[in-house]
Amino acid sequence: MKKATGFLALVLAFFLATWLVWWAVPAVALLWGGLRPAVKRPAFAAAVAAGAAWAMWLVVDGFAGGSALTTLATRLGGVLSLPAYGLFALTVIFPALLAWSATALAGGIADVFSPRSGDTR
Amino acid sequence: MLLPRLRLLAAAVVLLLLAYLGARGAGTAPPLGSFLEPANGVWALARSAELPALHQATIPGLTAPVEVLYDDRGVPHVFAKTEEDAWRAQGYLIARDRLFQMELQTRASAGTLSELIGDDALEADRTARRRGLPWAAERIAAAADSSSLISRATTAYAEGVNAWIDGMRGAELPLEYRLLGARPSHWEPRHTTYFFFQMALTLAYQDETLSRLRVRALVGEAATEALFPLHSPIVEPIQPNGAGAPRYDFIRPMPGPGAPDSSAAVAAEERESVNLALGWSIRRGGDGDVIGSNNWTVAPSRTAAGYPLLSGDPHLGLTVPSIWYEIHLHAEDGLDAAGVTFAGTPGVIIGFNRNLAWSFTNTGADVRDHYAEMVDDDRNPTKYRLDGEWKPLEIKVEEFRGQQGRLLAADTLRFTHRGPMVKTGSRWLSTRWTAFESRGGEEFLRIDRAASVGEWLEAWKGYAAAAQNGVVADRSGSIAIRSTGWYPVRPGSGRGDEIRDGSTTSSDWSGYVAPEHYPFSLNPAQGFLASANQEPVDPRQNGRYFGSNWPSPWRAMQINRLLRADSSVTPDAMRQFQTSPGSPRADVFVPALLAAARGRADLSPAASLLAEWDRRYTKDNHHAVLFEAAMSELGRLIWDELIPPADRADSAARPVASPSEAIVMQLLSDSGSAWWDNRRTADRETRDDILAEALRRGMTRAIAEHGPQDGEGWIWSKVQHANIYHPLRMPALSALDLPVQGGPSTLSPSSGRGLAGASWRMVVELGPEVRAWGTYPGGQSGNPASTRYLDRIPKWVGGELDTLRFPKSAAELSADLVRSRLTLTAGSPR
Repeated sequence: MKKATGFLALVLAFFLATWLVWWAVPAVALLWGGLRPAVKRPAFAAAVAAGAAWAMWLVVDGFAGGSALTTLATRLGGVLSLPAYGLFALTVIFPALLAWSATALAGGIADVFSPRSGDTR
Repeated sequence: MLLPRLRLLAAAVVLLLLAYLGARGAGTAPPLGSFLEPANGVWALARSAELPALHQATIPGLTAPVEVLYDDRGVPHVFAKTEEDAWRAQGYLIARDRLFQMELQTRASAGTLSELIGDDALEADRTARRRGLPWAAERIAAAADSSSLISRATTAYAEGVNAWIDGMRGAELPLEYRLLGARPSHWEPRHTTYFFFQMALTLAYQDETLSRLRVRALVGEAATEALFPLHSPIVEPIQPNGAGAPRYDFIRPMPGPGAPDSSAAVAAEERESVNLALGWSIRRGGDGDVIGSNNWTVAPSRTAAGYPLLSGDPHLGLTVPSIWYEIHLHAEDGLDAAGVTFAGTPGVIIGFNRNLAWSFTNTGADVRDHYAEMVDDDRNPTKYRLDGEWKPLEIKVEEFRGQQGRLLAADTLRFTHRGPMVKTGSRWLSTRWTAFESRGGEEFLRIDRAASVGEWLEAWKGYAAAAQNGVVADRSGSIAIRSTGWYPVRPGSGRGDEIRDGSTTSSDWSGYVAPEHYPFSLNPAQGFLASANQEPVDPRQNGRYFGSNWPSPWRAMQINRLLRADSSVTPDAMRQFQTSPGSPRADVFVPALLAAARGRADLSPAASLLAEWDRRYTKDNHHAVLFEAAMSELGRLIWDELIPPADRADSAARPVASPSEAIVMQLLSDSGSAWWDNRRTADRETRDDILAEALRRGMTRAIAEHGPQDGEGWIWSKVQHANIYHPLRMPALSALDLPVQGGPSTLSPSSGRGLAGASWRMVVELGPEVRAWGTYPGGQSGNPASTRYLDRIPKWVGGELDTLRFPKSAAELSADLVRSRLTLTAGSPR
């Protein structure tokens, strides 16, 4: 339950951060990774949370715009030579990779400077 | 030990790469971060695609709140206290729907496209500035009286545009800016002048003088004058001449090919050089995309309801979003006009008010001249000779910048009192053009408020460029047409197709033709008036030189034929006329081809097919394909003398210029003319030999290009399409392969690549209550996610029109027709 709440909080953090600016996603992930959260695979969790946050925004856009989102995806896909679903996938994968890499980097650096008990050099 | 470090390194590399792609993009891809993020990025456009039911916004400078109601067709009805408030609101509304289009169009005219779309536009920018329109726009802005109508309107309009830009949320940034990684620039009042200049450029046809010189170089002067006559050989003028039918002023016999003229060859090279430097078209005529506007009006005596009717049918290059934006402007101080305006200009350009309706076609007058200048230094001139004295050149160093403000190039431009001066071969040539001296479109604002035909004509009198055939009708039953624009009064022959001596002011224009001498008609006995870009006046009635670039008047003949035949015209008949598939051109040439095929057994299948055709370019006809192929081959066969001798062995070589088909019609009556002989053969061919060969080759070509004659490939709707491109030529944002009724020379001409066509179709009935119908290809919104982006295409393709709403007050527009309400109040943008 606690883990699930923590994950949802992370999703919410990415969701709100995105409203400010896109690079808030790696910023939140760096912070999250630097805190070395007590979860099993923090980088993976961050990736899933960031992807979910942007997917939630897509749902908001879809609800607010009705069929406009799919129309836009089709036309935009034509412009960028991508299928519409490919664009949606890219929209979810991009923040996921950002969050994964930022979390992994921050966590790794934190480990270098302050090894957890049991870590070896 | 090693694995965690590798993971760390991999994470760092991925993060840096993604950060770079997110911030900068790659290649032509936009910065992925701001582009993809769904809160304010491209996906957010879905949230702003449709109009909210109720909303409010602020514009600085409004004197009172403005109420805007969007009707069921997405047309805003603006109810303001003053006309300036109405123009403020107009700027705001059009920017909201068409911001990128507005900026792109004005930058193309100003020569600053590179700053928006990148280095690829540099050459276009250099040409635009050499052409002199930005220079002229600056002069107009510097000389503007801030209290003038046009200054007040463009200033108010700019305030509205900028209120939208300043208050625009990140989520509302148009798609194109996102793709280009750019931000919108603020709008200035002079940008409206840039737009009008862009239109003047669009409506300045190809250079007929260049065609004449090229032809003269090959076949001499007498033949050139016959092939490219000053006056149309088919006389069906805009100003009715009382004949009640076309008159054929054919020369018999027509002078044949003469000796080459080497001096004309040199002059042609020079002319081509100056045209290239200034970005004027140098195409050779022939199979291009025909632009052909129409307008006509019918007096009450010839309409079913007894009310005047007016049809507006301007044709332009087609784009999505459309060049037009539909709007209704109502102000308590008297403005109450509806119709279409350009994205970038205040007021209504083509439309109607409570009392009258109006529309335009292009006159195509010759209003641009070149002068050979004598300069102090051939390499780096600073002065030019005029009336025995050295006059300083106006010298401007023009800088060209890229997207991030990076300096791309700098050019030194020179101007005489006439206009821009460029080096062509061994000479410096300056250009004078009426557009340089115009007032920036003030007359469009005046006509919006006219209450009668007389007031409209007076308000329109001072209009400069590009000359327009304005048709107008009012509720009292008056109808009128006038070809209005500044026509230069030139010394000597008065013709504008020669390069004049720039060293003397005696070569200069001495003024402009007075409006009372413009081609004009008011309430003619025939009960209707029409124009279709044809020669405006019968040269026997008005010998003034207005130009020489008159297209064959097939469309005018068709309109007049329809109007002469119908003495009880209805609004729906007016609508149907706009896409009439009938073709006087086919009526002339099909019988000629059939007569030539008679007795030639090998042509029997082709002749049978052609004889079956009703000569109408309907979508489902199977025969226009053959006719068009034969006509194309006919042009190649007749004008072999106009192919340079060195190229004649090449079967694909094209003539240096193609005379109009009215000239070919003239030749039909002279079966032994030397022009019929094909110099590529040893025999001497006659008219019927060539016509028969054209049909033979046409049949072969049609089968080669479209398959067997009984197959689907010959169905006209499979062959000829309208193709409406987005200005950035992105097919996914365009409307392509649209099957349309009509063909070359019909009232809705469809030819070439289908890039031009009816840009706005309108019918207005001026009864006790004004009723109007209309549509244009595209939609009101420039947002590709919107249902209003392409919603008008189906009706446009089908030749149908929507009913146009024209409420007298906000309360009069019934609630079920209101899709959105916007209240604009004074204040800083949100």
